[in-house]
Amino acid sequence: MTNETRDALEPDVATPASGFLARVQRSDAWRSMFRHPQLDTPRGRALQSFSNFFLHLYPVKVPARVLRLRYSFRLGFIAAVLFAILTLTGVYLMFVYTPSPSAAYGDMQHLKTSVGFGQLIRNVHRWSAHLMVLTVALHMVRVFYAGAYKKPREFNWVIGVVLLLITLGFSFTGYLLPWDQLSYWAVTVGTNLVHYVPVVGGELQNLLIGGDQIGPSTLLRFYALHVAVLPSALGMLIAIHIWRVRKDGFAVKRASVGAFEEAATAPPALPGAPAALYGDRTRLLGVVDRESVTAEERAVDDTVFTWPHLVARHVVVLLGVAALVLALGVAFVAPLRGLANPNVTPEPSKAPWYFSALQELLSHFDPLVAGILVPSGIVLLLLLLPYMDRNPATEARNRKVAVLVFSVLLAAAVVLTVIGTLFRGPGWTFVAPWTHLYLEL
Amino acid sequence: MEQNRRQFLLSGWKVGGAVLIGAAVYTAYEALRPLAGGAGGTKLTVGSPDTFAKNTSTYFPEGRLYVVNAKGDLLALSQKCPHLGCQVPFCDSSGRFECPCHGSIFDIGGEYITGPAPRGMDRYPLDVKANTVVVDTGALEAGPDRGAKKYFAPPKGPSCIK
Repeated sequence: MTNETRDALEPDVATPASGFLARVQRSDAWRSMFRHPQLDTPRGRALQSFSNFFLHLYPVKVPARVLRLRYSFRLGFIAAVLFAILTLTGVYLMFVYTPSPSAAYGDMQHLKTSVGFGQLIRNVHRWSAHLMVLTVALHMVRVFYAGAYKKPREFNWVIGVVLLLITLGFSFTGYLLPWDQLSYWAVTVGTNLVHYVPVVGGELQNLLIGGDQIGPSTLLRFYALHVAVLPSALGMLIAIHIWRVRKDGFAVKRASVGAFEEAATAPPALPGAPAALYGDRTRLLGVVDRESVTAEERAVDDTVFTWPHLVARHVVVLLGVAALVLALGVAFVAPLRGLANPNVTPEPSKAPWYFSALQELLSHFDPLVAGILVPSGIVLLLLLLPYMDRNPATEARNRKVAVLVFSVLLAAAVVLTVIGTLFRGPGWTFVAPWTHLYLEL
Repeated sequence: MEQNRRQFLLSGWKVGGAVLIGAAVYTAYEALRPLAGGAGGTKLTVGSPDTFAKNTSTYFPEGRLYVVNAKGDLLALSQKCPHLGCQVPFCDSSGRFECPCHGSIFDIGGEYITGPAPRGMDRYPLDVKANTVVVDTGALEAGPDRGAKKYFAPPKGPSCIK
């Protein structure tokens, strides 16, 4: 096929008329790789989506409101970006790290002293992990207040809750890997909680840590969970999560529907007869079945092409997130305490912020209540939320009970987290952060 | 008859799937369960009973335990807090065991005084034979209930964690 025939067949393909680039882009090899035309017409934009593997995650067109930052604050996308950054930095770390108590801590020091940019990559990995927990939590809060878990999105909410749990699982397993005092004792406390599970607690704890105390088998299995089991589970579920967002449509009020309802309920103007003639009386000429009116309505097309509108915004967010974690990695060093010592618990021994609400509860209540019943009760509540809350309304004023209950629980979690993170010192005593800040990250 | 065979074959793959899942779960269990003999359990000789002065605690890191002389009684206490497994250090200034993680406090005999711990510190059986004290680290016994007050004494001085 000559170039002339090719151009004639695809007149809207933007190929440079001449030069080296034109020769490359007209070659069979190029066209075997990049099938989509790059043309700024509706057809070109749609083809971009049809023929690009990465864009198939998106619908070809999205409701225009999705473009607004206020719609989602891009929290789900940010979480996905952070997962990608964590995967990338995690692979770098895997090149250096050995999951054994005799080597792990030394590898952490090698990252700092012998590996180019090693410490930076560890810092970025650490701060991205914290940000991912925060983003996933905020994403869930946003989805709740938007009422976006309601029919038909119930099950996608459930998948989202599981994704949150997996994210916390990542944090927990990853926390042990540096094998310093911070990791060792945080994981000791965390895994001892499992012991309080009724009936099977002891056996479950043994399976989790592979012995009666944290040791080589614990480190190895946490490593396997952290780099293989959890990433595949999270990757798979994220794919399903995003796929369902596409299939269920975006949780926005479609302008077409709103406009239609407004038009249908507004009193019709009387043709030919000025209203002043009859005052505010109208003459009823006939009764028309509402159905026959609605059949006349046409949906307003309020959609825009994903490429380039949404994709461009996502690229900006991606670059922003990357810049942020890089800046955090340059500015703040990931903590590394002394080598793990099973015979000395450091003072104070605090969990990272996302578990400190739990730790705060543990200091007040029986471990069975604070460590097992309350967390599993909250998880169960979250999982069942879309099935218990059958109210279809999404505006806050029409779902006061749900909003109130969720807000109270959220406020309690925030207060407990702030107290546990900022206001607790040695022996879990109350220490104001302005006198001494005991913060573990 | 043919219908039955069809039904049998149709449900056959479900049975196969269930067997496969069962096998996968059991294999995971086998891979994760602790290997035999990992629970410790040697007999630890800690010296002559005379070396433990009254109301003092001596730490034996090799056994992860304390041997205390509580009002004349020799006891071997596990260092592991019965609450969530932190190592409970002995605070010399108060003469008590004080857990840095969640603030549980135990008296010199490991009995519960305050904090979130569900019971007193766990103990190992201890034997005095021919003027040597031997601790059996293979037979951990659950600590005394919260109400136990046999060795209670007011704090000697300031606490290490408060």
